[in-house]
Amino acid sequence: MSRRGDWVYENNGGTCVAIAGADYCVIAADTRLSVGYSILTRDHSKICELADKCVLASSGFQGDIKALHKNLAARELLYQHQHNKRMSCPAMAQLLSNTLYYKRFFPYYAFNVLGGLDSEGKGCVFTYDAVGSYERTGYSAQGTGSTLIMPVLDNQLKSPSPLLLPARDAVTPLSETEAIDLVKDVFASATERDIYTGDKLEIVVVNKAGTRREYIDLRKD
Amino acid sequence: MSIFEYNGSAVVAMVGKNCFAIASDRRLGVQLQTIGTDFQRVFKIHDKLYIGLSGLATDAQTLYQRLVFRHKLYQLREERDMKPETFASLVSALLYEKRELAKDFVVSGTASESLYGACESMYKPDMGPEELFETISQALRASVDRDCLSGWGGYVLVVTPTEVRESVIKGRMD
Repeated sequence: MSRRGDWVYENNGGTCVAIAGADYCVIAADTRLSVGYSILTRDHSKICELADKCVLASSGFQGDIKALHKNLAARELLYQHQHNKRMSCPAMAQLLSNTLYYKRFFPYYAFNVLGGLDSEGKGCVFTYDAVGSYERTGYSAQGTGSTLIMPVLDNQLKSPSPLLLPARDAVTPLSETEAIDLVKDVFASATERDIYTGDKLEIVVVNKAGTRREYIDLRKD
Repeated sequence: MSIFEYNGSAVVAMVGKNCFAIASDRRLGVQLQTIGTDFQRVFKIHDKLYIGLSGLATDAQTLYQRLVFRHKLYQLREERDMKPETFASLVSALLYEKRELAKDFVVSGTASESLYGACESMYKPDMGPEELFETISQALRASVDRDCLSGWGGYVLVVTPTEVRESVIKGRMD
């Protein structure tokens, strides 16, 4: 692909995961930045706190991701000035979709997972493709390790089908600690088999008490 | 589309305590159309040796026939069954690639990335036959449900020193 003179993207690798609970949301991403078979840094955050109850994790081309996060943070600040309140997670979800589709014919090479609490205080996760198609789900994984992680999350979290009537909540009945343990497990597994995932895991937990962050070591090879 | 993705396949094998399990999906497709739902991908070489072949279905069947032919000749000459390590060398010689004897599990097919993740999370060493059966079935099911080219049920074989247990796993038929 890079033999073409016009290929302007590169994939910096990495994996992002988010899980929605009844009254919390866990958003996690590894901190490795790669290019080709090399590691650029072991200590780069892929997570951006856009609002007090809204956190975005993105993997893909870091140049585009930095620009996207900056764009969204600026729009959130404008919203704050105009509406005298912070943006809710579902509102940011729509804004992100529109921002991505705006560049439909020169996309942001960013694979996003948005997590947080909705206006009722329930956990919510929104998952995106590179051009803005999005869906609210109970959990999601994006990035180089996503194909390794999603089947395990399916097996452990078993989201109800959107075709069921009456509609059932997508949030997991797991407790906050159980969800965090699951996230640590799936990242440990992904780190074993995906060369682009590893070094450190950054976990952000959003609940009604606020937002907290923790770091776990992963394999560095 | 790569020729290895033409028919769709998912094959996984796991090592347990004095036992092993080998499993595959049952779909045979032609690109996006499903034309078979009971396709066999796991074949017996002898009582203690099975091989799962993913990839292009016609080549998998041809390769199996050639391997059985070579093994039968070996049996005639040596008057015994081939050891798995020896058989692995035979397979690698036929395919021109280096073989690896895994201590935990091996995966193959269009669902291989999903299988890697699922097996890595669910596997633990020294499982007994019942636990191994559960683990390999769950790993296979979760992985093929995320791959549109494999699925339509699963076929699992668990082999211990005394018996061989075959089972068909119910799964999403889509």
